[in-house]
Amino acid sequence: MGEPVAGRPSGGKRTEPGAGPNRTGGQTGPLVVACVRIVDLRPHVDPLTGRITRDPAGLGLPAPDAAALEHALRIGEAWSGRVVVAAAGPSPAPGGTPDAVLGELAALGATVVHLAEAGPAVHGRDRDMAETALRHPGTERPAATDSGALWELTADEGALARRIVNALSPFGVPAAVLCGDRSPDRGTGALPGFLAHELGAAQALGAVAVAPGDGHLLVDRRLDGGWRERLRVPCPAVCSVEGGGVRLRRATLPALLAAGPTAVHPAAPVRGGTVDGAREGSGPGPVTLRILGPPRPYRPRTRIVAPPADPDPRIRLLELTGALEAHDPPTVLGPIGAPEAADALVDFLVRHGYLDAPLPGAPARAGAP
Amino acid sequence: MSGATEFDAVVVGAGPAGSAAAIALARAGRSVVLVERGPFPGSKNVYGGVVYGRILDQIVPAWWEEVPVERWIVRRSTMMMTGTQSLSVDYRSQAWADRPYNGMTTVRSRFDRWLAGKATDAGARLVTSTVATGLVRDASGRICGVHTDRGDGDLRARVVVACDGVNSFLAKEAGLLPPAEASHHTLGVKEVLDLPRSVIDERFGLTGDEGTDIEILGCTRGIPGGGFLYTNADTVSVGVVLSLPHLAAAGVRPEELIADLKEHPSIAPYLRGATLREYAAHLIPEGGYDAMPTLATDGMLVAGDAAAMTLAAGIWLEGVNFAIGSGLAAGRAVDRAIGAGDCSAAGLASYRADLEAQFVLADHKRFRRAPSLILSERVQQRYPGFLCDMAEELFTVTNPTPKPGGLRATRIAAARHGVTLRALAADTLRALRVFG
Ligand SMILES: Cc1cc2nc3c(=O)[nH]c(=O)nc-3n(C[C@H](O)[C@H](O)[C@H](O)COP(=O)(O)OP(=O)(O)OC[C@H]3O[C@@H](n4cnc5c(N)ncnc54)[C@H](O)[C@@H]3O)c2cc1C
Repeated sequence: MGEPVAGRPSGGKRTEPGAGPNRTGGQTGPLVVACVRIVDLRPHVDPLTGRITRDPAGLGLPAPDAAALEHALRIGEAWSGRVVVAAAGPSPAPGGTPDAVLGELAALGATVVHLAEAGPAVHGRDRDMAETALRHPGTERPAATDSGALWELTADEGALARRIVNALSPFGVPAAVLCGDRSPDRGTGALPGFLAHELGAAQALGAVAVAPGDGHLLVDRRLDGGWRERLRVPCPAVCSVEGGGVRLRRATLPALLAAGPTAVHPAAPVRGGTVDGAREGSGPGPVTLRILGPPRPYRPRTRIVAPPADPDPRIRLLELTGALEAHDPPTVLGPIGAPEAADALVDFLVRHGYLDAPLPGAPARAGAP
Repeated sequence: MSGATEFDAVVVGAGPAGSAAAIALARAGRSVVLVERGPFPGSKNVYGGVVYGRILDQIVPAWWEEVPVERWIVRRSTMMMTGTQSLSVDYRSQAWADRPYNGMTTVRSRFDRWLAGKATDAGARLVTSTVATGLVRDASGRICGVHTDRGDGDLRARVVVACDGVNSFLAKEAGLLPPAEASHHTLGVKEVLDLPRSVIDERFGLTGDEGTDIEILGCTRGIPGGGFLYTNADTVSVGVVLSLPHLAAAGVRPEELIADLKEHPSIAPYLRGATLREYAAHLIPEGGYDAMPTLATDGMLVAGDAAAMTLAAGIWLEGVNFAIGSGLAAGRAVDRAIGAGDCSAAGLASYRADLEAQFVLADHKRFRRAPSLILSERVQQRYPGFLCDMAEELFTVTNPTPKPGGLRATRIAAARHGVTLRALAADTLRALRVFG
């Protein structure tokens, strides 16, 4: 794999993706970013009240985010690039689960930037945070709170995207950003779009597979009937990926032991407006598309039939339903026994060409003379 | 392997024993790594529900201010039952409702995490989602670390402390624990049922953070064992503990026995309307003192359930406090051994001496014959019915027939259940000797 084509084809003012200061020990390869969210993967939902109870013990990476990170690591390896994980989640408590999750991320060889959510939902014994408690009394609108659990809902995702891009700015401009395609925490799935906007990047959402190309990403997406489309997405690109397909690697033990809290950088405070150097280009490059057939199973081609020609739309509709064709009138055969009923069905299928006629000498059927 | 980091100690298992060992070591300034297979301490752990916290005084002063407690036990009830009767000895003490408290219900996923937090606070390195898969030995065959299931996953240490729970694979690999003997184990199964807090308070006669512990005999269709019912904040735990070989021979599914218990007329009113939240099962080492493994070998100690240290002596089922006590002792012993530069079995021998000098082995030694008495045929199958019938004889008013009197009531009930007065006297004497 060659280096990605990092900038715009023609001379915009934007910063070259991957360039700029970095905190990763002097590596200068293209910057690949995974945006992940640390959430309670198994919140308890009270069946009667619908109240959601979250517990720090359940914190982890949702499957789509884990897949996004694995893709980012693979792309980073292929491009000899730097991988930064922007991890939104509760503030780490010493020895607590958020700490363990962040430590595990850092041990994967990525630089971890932590966007701390001051989440009452996930600290101490406050496991009984009810979502309703966070709403303004008498309104349906969530209170303006920085609760971790509701952050994505209460603050708009555009703001979240700005915050992420801002936090990434010390590392340079990303060549590729990978996100999960959905959040179990009721995210809207709009974050990658906002990120692409903030970065002036091309975007491809809901990918089943992402492969690094030469200056682009090859992104497979689902189509109906097992078909896939393959997008050639020029860098800088933002991609959201499905949870399946790849499994996040495990950190080695030495890496895990080496990764302490210092391996995690707290994100810089939010700045308003557009992030410096990110969105000054002439807009994302064109995404090209190829449709890929499903490998298997084989399905015969659709038979093309001429559209009904009648000028009356009602008749056209009836023709389409087949209602105007001659049909066998309904036949009452019974009551008859099961073997006779089976014979009648087989006869029907033979009569209409769905089955071959029984060979001469074949054992007599139940109802046969 | 050669590149593996060397620690003073590797503790396997962040249950109560492992965390306690790591706390003792880290506080003594030793480098210690605590390896836990679950994603967080307590994630894999199952128990009934009551922890007797006095041992925590040695770890956190005023621990009750921060421990993740569900309820403080103020009521302990021992219930004997037949299919339709029950007889309880019900004890309540308000002294237990206040500092320094006696027992508490707590959820292991929170309690174990809290305790492991004390170890990391003290400087221990906690590594989760990592399974210790075997022992590392040096050229002389001496244990010097563990293999794990991670890449480059060997951990070298001067001493390995095996706190990996019942049926410890590490203790077996080290040759300390003989192959599992079914008769030394029981199977504990339990359901956690949701009930509103106010309903629990009302039904069990509790206020605020007060809780109840009910231990039950005679609810297991004759399979040696017992049952329990504990109150948590807004759930209750109900379960049975069953002798493994007898359960297998009976061909009964353990959940059927919990269903029986939940339907018993003395239990059902407590649980009406409760909904199932969790079902869990786990082995308990109940062999007691005589079934314990050798506790130390060159470069390795065994603590907690890995060393069969649950005290299951009838009215007592205590494992967590014994695990913490033994873990602390193991940590101290390793510290001393490293200080003396001798981590051989002889250098680690102070571990056993320490345990003998305190409750862990003292209680086990004292009650060493309790398991066989409690799980005996008469105690399990005859006495619950005998005692219930005796109570029924005494309390049934049969006017105009005169009351039978205590002795006659005893004789009638004893005859009905095939209990001879001679056997009764012998068992009473035996019980006095076991528990006296
Ligand atoms: C149904 C039931 C009811 C009980 N009721 C009570 C009660 O009410 N009160 C009470 O005090 N005790 C009770 N006990 C006993 C109590 O649970 C145990 O005595 C206690 O948990 C022992 O603690 P431990 O640390 O030795 O082992 P455990 O609590 O079993 O912890 C062992 C730890 O090691 C980890 N581990 C195991 N193997 C590996 C490996 N290879 N690599 C890495 N990690 C590993 C496990 O994940 C676990 O975290 C009950 C037990 C059961 C089963």
